[in-house]
Amino acid sequence: MQTHIPPRSPDRRSLLRLGAGAALLAPLPRIWTPRPGPGKTRRVILVAFAGGVRTRETLGTPGNVPNLMRMAREGVVFPRVRTENLGHFGAAMTLFTGISEARGIRDNARGGDPTVFEYVRKELGWPADQVWISTSGGAQQANYSYSLHPDYGEAYGANTLDGDGVFNAEFRSIVDAYGKPKELSPREAELLARMRAALLAGREEDSQEDAASFARVESFLFDELRNGTADLRGAGAADAKALRVARNLMAVFRPGLLGVVLQRADVAHGSYNAYVEVIRRNDAMLGELFDAVRKDPELADSTAIFVVPEFGRDKDLNVRRGLDHGDGSDDLRRVAMVAWGPDFRRGAEVLEDVRSIDLCPTVCELLGARARHSRGRRLRQLFA
Amino acid sequence: MAPSRRSDTGPSLGSRRLRALFLDLLDRSPTAAEREHWRGRDAHELLDTLTASLEFWENWLERELYYFLLVVSFRPTSERVLEIPSELAGGHIGVREALRRIALSPSFDRRNPGADTFCTVMLEQFLGIVVQEKPRLLESAKRLYDGRSGKFLGGSGRSQADVVRLVIDDPGTLRFYLARLHRSFLRTEAPERELRRLSERLAEGHGALRSILREWGRSDAYEARLDSRRPLSNRAFTRSLFVDLTDALPSPEEEQRMRAALDGLANPGPLRAVVARLLLDSGTTRIPARDAIEDPRAWIRELFDHLLTRQPTEAELDAFVSSLADPACRPETVVYAILSDPAYPTW
Repeated sequence: MQTHIPPRSPDRRSLLRLGAGAALLAPLPRIWTPRPGPGKTRRVILVAFAGGVRTRETLGTPGNVPNLMRMAREGVVFPRVRTENLGHFGAAMTLFTGISEARGIRDNARGGDPTVFEYVRKELGWPADQVWISTSGGAQQANYSYSLHPDYGEAYGANTLDGDGVFNAEFRSIVDAYGKPKELSPREAELLARMRAALLAGREEDSQEDAASFARVESFLFDELRNGTADLRGAGAADAKALRVARNLMAVFRPGLLGVVLQRADVAHGSYNAYVEVIRRNDAMLGELFDAVRKDPELADSTAIFVVPEFGRDKDLNVRRGLDHGDGSDDLRRVAMVAWGPDFRRGAEVLEDVRSIDLCPTVCELLGARARHSRGRRLRQLFA
Repeated sequence: MAPSRRSDTGPSLGSRRLRALFLDLLDRSPTAAEREHWRGRDAHELLDTLTASLEFWENWLERELYYFLLVVSFRPTSERVLEIPSELAGGHIGVREALRRIALSPSFDRRNPGADTFCTVMLEQFLGIVVQEKPRLLESAKRLYDGRSGKFLGGSGRSQADVVRLVIDDPGTLRFYLARLHRSFLRTEAPERELRRLSERLAEGHGALRSILREWGRSDAYEARLDSRRPLSNRAFTRSLFVDLTDALPSPEEEQRMRAALDGLANPGPLRAVVARLLLDSGTTRIPARDAIEDPRAWIRELFDHLLTRQPTEAELDAFVSSLADPACRPETVVYAILSDPAYPTW
C-alpha cells in the first residue's frame, strides 16, 4: 500500500498553524460538512472512467455494466459527449480543468490551468481533507491534483491517494507487527454494542450521533483491514483499487469533492477481451461505490456522481485483435457520461452534443464555486 | 518512580488527578506499579517527583522537537541535542540554551532551508511573530542570514548564526515559550505581566522551569484545569494505550510509526480504536483470562477507574458484568468497549 498523502511536502506554515503544536491542544475535529451550493448537492464524485472506453462496451452492452446502468436509470445519460484525442493524460486532465489539454502521452508535468479541486478549495475555503483524488497509480496521475497556475496551485490541491488507500505504510507496518484484529462473533458484537450503549446512556444527542458515526467508520475500517485492497489482483486491479479507495474515502472522510482516475482499459491495445474484462470489473467496483453512497442516508441525499471516459477507442479492431485510439471516428471522439445526484433529473437522456470540458464548470457550480478559467459551460440539461 | 521529598501538603491523589499529572508532565498514563504506589498520596509530592525526573526532560525535548516538526527524517541526531534532557535535569543548562541548541542543529537547518523559511520559522515559532505583519523585520533577518551586515531585533549581525543568537537571546523568546507552556499545562492564556515576570526568572536560573511548574501545579488554575478534558495528542494516546494495556511504553520505533499513521488522518479517532483492537488482540497485553477474574464487578470497577478515571454507574456496571458473563464475550472486548468511549482519549 503506497500512500501519497499529501503528494507533496505540506506547506510548513500551514502545518504549523493547522497541525503540530496546535493539534496537541485542539479538540478532535468533527466530521466536516461542506457549505451547500445552490441545490441539495454538497458532495461530488467525479469518476474519470479513463483508459479509453467506447460507449459500445458500456451503455451499448448493458450486460458489461449493470451498475452503470442502474445509475443511468436513476440519473441522466449524455450519450454524445464530445472529447478530443489528446492522449490519456491530457484528455483526463481536460475533465478536471474544463480546458482542452494537449499533453504528450508520456508527459509528466503539472498543467498550467487550475483544476476543479483548486477552484472549490480556493473559492469555497475548503480544507485539504475535503478534496481528494484516488488514482490507479503512476507518476502522471499525481499531476491531476493541482496546477502551476499562479493564482491557484499547490496550496489548493487535492490530497492524492493511489490504489492502496486509507491505511498508509506506517499503519501497515503496525498490522504486520501485531497481526489483524480478531473478528467478533455476532453475539460478541451485540454485547459490545450493549456495553457501549450503557456508556452513552444519558448523554446528549450529539454524542449519540457521534458514536453512531464513529461505529460506522470503525466497522468500515475493520472490514477494510480484513478485506482491504490487497485482495484485488489480476486484470485491472489498479483501477479496482482506486475505486475501492474512493469508497473508503467517502465512508471515512465524506469529502466534498472526490476525483477517481482509472486507466487500465488501455489494455485494449493488445486485447479486446482483456479490455472488456477491465470494464466489467470496474463496473462492479463502481457498484460498490454507488451502493456505499446510496445506503448512507446523509451521502445519498447530498452526493452527485459523474462517470465519464476521457475519450473512446477506434471503431475497428487492430491486427492484434485489440483497439487503438486514433482513427478520428465517433467511437473515439464521442463518449457516454452518466450523472446521478439529488438535484438531477431521473431516467433522462440528453441527445444533444455536450463537451467533456463542460464537466468542470458544472461540478464547480453544483458546489457553489466558479471555474473562472474553464472554457466549458454548465450542463443545464442535468436539471429538471 | 520513587517520591523525592515532601515539600508541602497537597490534595490526595485520586485516579483523575494521578492520570492527569502523568499525562501533563510525561505524555503517558501511570503504570500499574506507579498507580499502586501513588494512589492516595500527596499530589504535590508527585508533581515534585515527576518534574525532577529525567523522563520529564526527555519528554520535554520530544514535545519541543514535535513543535518544531523535527521528526522522522528531520529528527536531530547530534549529541548537543540528545544531551539536552540530561543537562536540563542536572541543572547544567536552562531552557534558553536548550532552545538555542535545537535552533543550531543541522536538522533544524535542513528542515527550514533557505533564508525566507529559516527566518520566518525563527520569528514565528520562537517569538510568536506573524511575519506578514512585520515584513521589514523578516527582511532584516534575511539580510543577516545571507551574510550581509545589519541590525535585527536591536542587535547587530551578519550570519545565520547571528539570526539564531539574536532571536534566542531576545526576551520575547522565553515569554513566548512560557505562553505555550501555560496554554498546554493550565489550558488558559497567561497574563502578559505574569509572562514577563516568569520569563525573567526563567532567564536567571537553570532550575527555574521546574519551580515554575511546581507553582503552577499547586495553583487554583490547575485545580480549574482538572475540571476540563481535552483530546490527547496522537503521541500521548499511543504511549498511554501501551502503558494501559501492556504496562510498558512502546519502543521509539513503534511510537513513531503509530504517531505517523494517526497523524496522516484528519480525524484519527476511529483509527485509534483500530489500533487499540490490534493491540488487544495481539496477545501482548496484560488482560486477564476470563477464568482468572475472580470478582467481575471489582475488575470492571477497576477498569473504569483506571481508564476513564471515574466509577461506573450502576447501569453501566450491570451492563458490563452481564456482558462479561456471556460466554461469547472476551475480557478484551470489555476493555475495548471502555477504550472506545469518547472519554478515554481525553485527559
